[in-house]
Amino acid sequence: MHSPKRILIVDDEESIQKVVKLSLKIEASWEGITASSGKEGIRQAESCQPDAILLDVMMPNMDGIATFAALEKNPKTRAIPVILLTAKTQASEKRLFQEIGVAGVITKPFEPLSLASKISQLLNWI
Amino acid sequence: MSAIARVSSSLSANPLYWQGVMDVNPLTASSQTRLAKVLDCLNSHPAAGCILAVYRRKVVGIATRQDLMSALAQNPDWASMRLAEIVTRPVITVEHSAIAPIAPIIDLLEQHQISYLPVVDAKGHLLGLIDQARLLRVLQNQFTHGLSSEQPGRAQIFADITLKIRQSLQLKEILQTTVDEIQRLLNADRVLIYQVLPDSTGKAVSEAVVAPYPSLLEISFPEEVFPEEYQMLYAEGRIRAIADVHDPNANISECLVEFIDQWDIKSKLIVPIVRPINPSINSVDNGAEDPTAVRKHLWGLLIAHQCRHPRQWSDFELDLMQQLAGQISLALSQGQLMEYLEERVDLRTAELTQANDALQQEIRERKQVEKALRRSEAQLRLITNNLPVLIAYIDRHQRYQFNNQRYEQWLGRSPVDITGQSIQQVMGTAHYQSIRPYIEAVLAGEQVTYESELTFQDGRDRSVSVTYIPHLETAKDSFASQADHESGSKNGRQKSTQVKGFFALTTDISDRKAIERMKDEFIAVVSHELRTPLTSIHTSLKLLATGLLGNLREEGQEMLTVADENTDRLVRLVNNVLDLQRIEAGEVTIDAYACDTAELIEEAVETIQTMAQQHHIKIRVHAESLSIWADPDYIVRTLTNLLGNAIKFSAAGSVVHLSVETTDPALVNSALAKQSTDRETALFCVRDHGQGIPHEKLDSIFERFQQVDSSDSRKKGGTGLGLTICRKIVEQHGGEIWAQSQLGQGSCFFFTVPLSPLLVARSPTQPS
Repeated sequence: MHSPKRILIVDDEESIQKVVKLSLKIEASWEGITASSGKEGIRQAESCQPDAILLDVMMPNMDGIATFAALEKNPKTRAIPVILLTAKTQASEKRLFQEIGVAGVITKPFEPLSLASKISQLLNWI
Repeated sequence: MSAIARVSSSLSANPLYWQGVMDVNPLTASSQTRLAKVLDCLNSHPAAGCILAVYRRKVVGIATRQDLMSALAQNPDWASMRLAEIVTRPVITVEHSAIAPIAPIIDLLEQHQISYLPVVDAKGHLLGLIDQARLLRVLQNQFTHGLSSEQPGRAQIFADITLKIRQSLQLKEILQTTVDEIQRLLNADRVLIYQVLPDSTGKAVSEAVVAPYPSLLEISFPEEVFPEEYQMLYAEGRIRAIADVHDPNANISECLVEFIDQWDIKSKLIVPIVRPINPSINSVDNGAEDPTAVRKHLWGLLIAHQCRHPRQWSDFELDLMQQLAGQISLALSQGQLMEYLEERVDLRTAELTQANDALQQEIRERKQVEKALRRSEAQLRLITNNLPVLIAYIDRHQRYQFNNQRYEQWLGRSPVDITGQSIQQVMGTAHYQSIRPYIEAVLAGEQVTYESELTFQDGRDRSVSVTYIPHLETAKDSFASQADHESGSKNGRQKSTQVKGFFALTTDISDRKAIERMKDEFIAVVSHELRTPLTSIHTSLKLLATGLLGNLREEGQEMLTVADENTDRLVRLVNNVLDLQRIEAGEVTIDAYACDTAELIEEAVETIQTMAQQHHIKIRVHAESLSIWADPDYIVRTLTNLLGNAIKFSAAGSVVHLSVETTDPALVNSALAKQSTDRETALFCVRDHGQGIPHEKLDSIFERFQQVDSSDSRKKGGTGLGLTICRKIVEQHGGEIWAQSQLGQGSCFFFTVPLSPLLVARSPTQPS
């Protein structure tokens, strides 16, 4: 059983926002809040203080790496764990993401009914 | 009239007789012979100068031809006169025992002013007649020919003849000169050279004969006249001087006497012509003779004949004949040597001609080769000048020795200007410093390829790929490397080879680089833009399939399953296509480090577990904990690919085995055995009990889209790229992958990965 969580989903693709949100709800009854850009994501994080942020890497204007850096600098968001959601599959890229200090990396496409479990595993919520 | 019948043998011993001083057959007549008959007799013997009146073999008077003529002129009745009326009395005679020295005879003739001196024996019997004119002729003849017994004269004669003999190198001419000279000198009637033939017969090969005596050339000499025992005696140096062949003391066989009587031979002198055997020349001749048998052999005889009358041969004559026989022998040897030398010269000439022909042929071939080389070089130069590549040869002192025309087009530098300049001068110090490590590497004998930036004459910076190829020379051709060897160089390459310089090939890869950048961008776009909508579709379908968003009718549920399965397949296909493209483009970086095989297997099993459960397959693991040098993500990917295949092709309820252990050579197929045993590896094995793979397909299944059955991809949801990606990953790790199978019984997929270097080195501590 999953304890109730609030997850901020930052992705410029609205369809992804929707399916991730629904997946988390169906699998674990988690609450999903969404943002369509890096900047919006930072604002949402500051205001909503989610338990974790699922952050897309490739976004226009401010990509996931820049957004993560901003979140890290922001005292209000610094403590929130960030998991990158990426279509980049190369191992070296994934390792690079981990090296910058993210809590984990989940590659697209993901298994919707085990997404919450994967997040829990990465964040040691289990 | 009666002539003296026969000259006694005692008289014949007198040397004057033999020298023709005394006429042994003078004209004689009885004192009562009428002058008319005497006149007839003198007329019939015109050489006779007088006639002797004899009574009971004693000379009673002498009448010269002049006496007769005077009587005829003074006496008209001369026809009735008799010889006794005109002869001079008493007749002065000389005893034959007193006439050995010639000088007293001459004195006697002069003292009595007579021209004819009858020779008588002790009893006063007539023996012959000395004719003053004849005597003088003989003396003159002897004087003319230098037939003196003084040594200087002999030596001169011999020297003269030898000189004449030696004026020719032709053996036949030498032999003829010899016989001619001897005949002239000895006043012999015949001189010949008789050659002994191998069958013991012989023939006259050269001859000088005076008329009217016949020639013995072309006459066959039967073996009996010169038997083999005689030949042996002559070979040992026997000399025969026979004054009178009919003299019983001459000890000549009857058959030989009969033979020589045919040719009117009265006297003969024979000396052997012997030759030392020269084994070396003999062996060149024909090798028929045994060189150790005899040291000399009889080649022939030098023979002088006197036919007019018997002749006493003097010591000088014997000596002369012997010496000339020696000269003949020498000439024979020289002739033989000449023949041998001529043969050698002919042989050598033939060899030289042959060598010359071969040389000429070689020169022609070389000219053709040179022509072909020049043509080839011209073609090569044309090609190199037109290739879109900078081509240069740089010597070990880093100076350009050759550049193609492209240098002028790209860098604005004529090849002529570049030749002889250093790399630093041509490329500039800054560029030279950046490429210096590659230059040092190629001069150490290694081929080097690197990418760099180069500013062209139009000012544009271009990306270039540069390859340096060392020009190596083997040690045996190199003096310098010999010195290296002697100085005990430890480097094997330096000891056996020397770098003379290197070839530099520079290719403009700016376009390629631009394409690569475009491709990178394309892949990034495809990765993101294709996967993002796929993720949405995939996730949506999965969520719908849970039924938590509402129930569909049965047909709707069926369609949803179809859409879901095919979306899964599309996701895998996109992933595989992108991965394979990246691997083949060399863009995948294998980030290898020491990993534990047991952990990798656990991760792979965990990943595939859901699928196994869906197919009701059990996975049985036997994993050794080994440290391998690998990128764990890719090894897990390989394992899950192989496990996925095994699950898909196994019957529900069956077991798939997964194991890892250190390489067991027995399990490695022969083609790969060598490589597998070259270094220690971990051997992974995924074994199923499925339908198996036909033997002929075991290799091809690792090629892209080469499944055993083309319908498999549809039936089993495969992409046809999984095993190709597995092979690429394993090869990039330095391992091998292969399959074994028995139809109907299942398949085994093996792959190897090198063990961690630290483990191979048997380090006491585990790698971090």
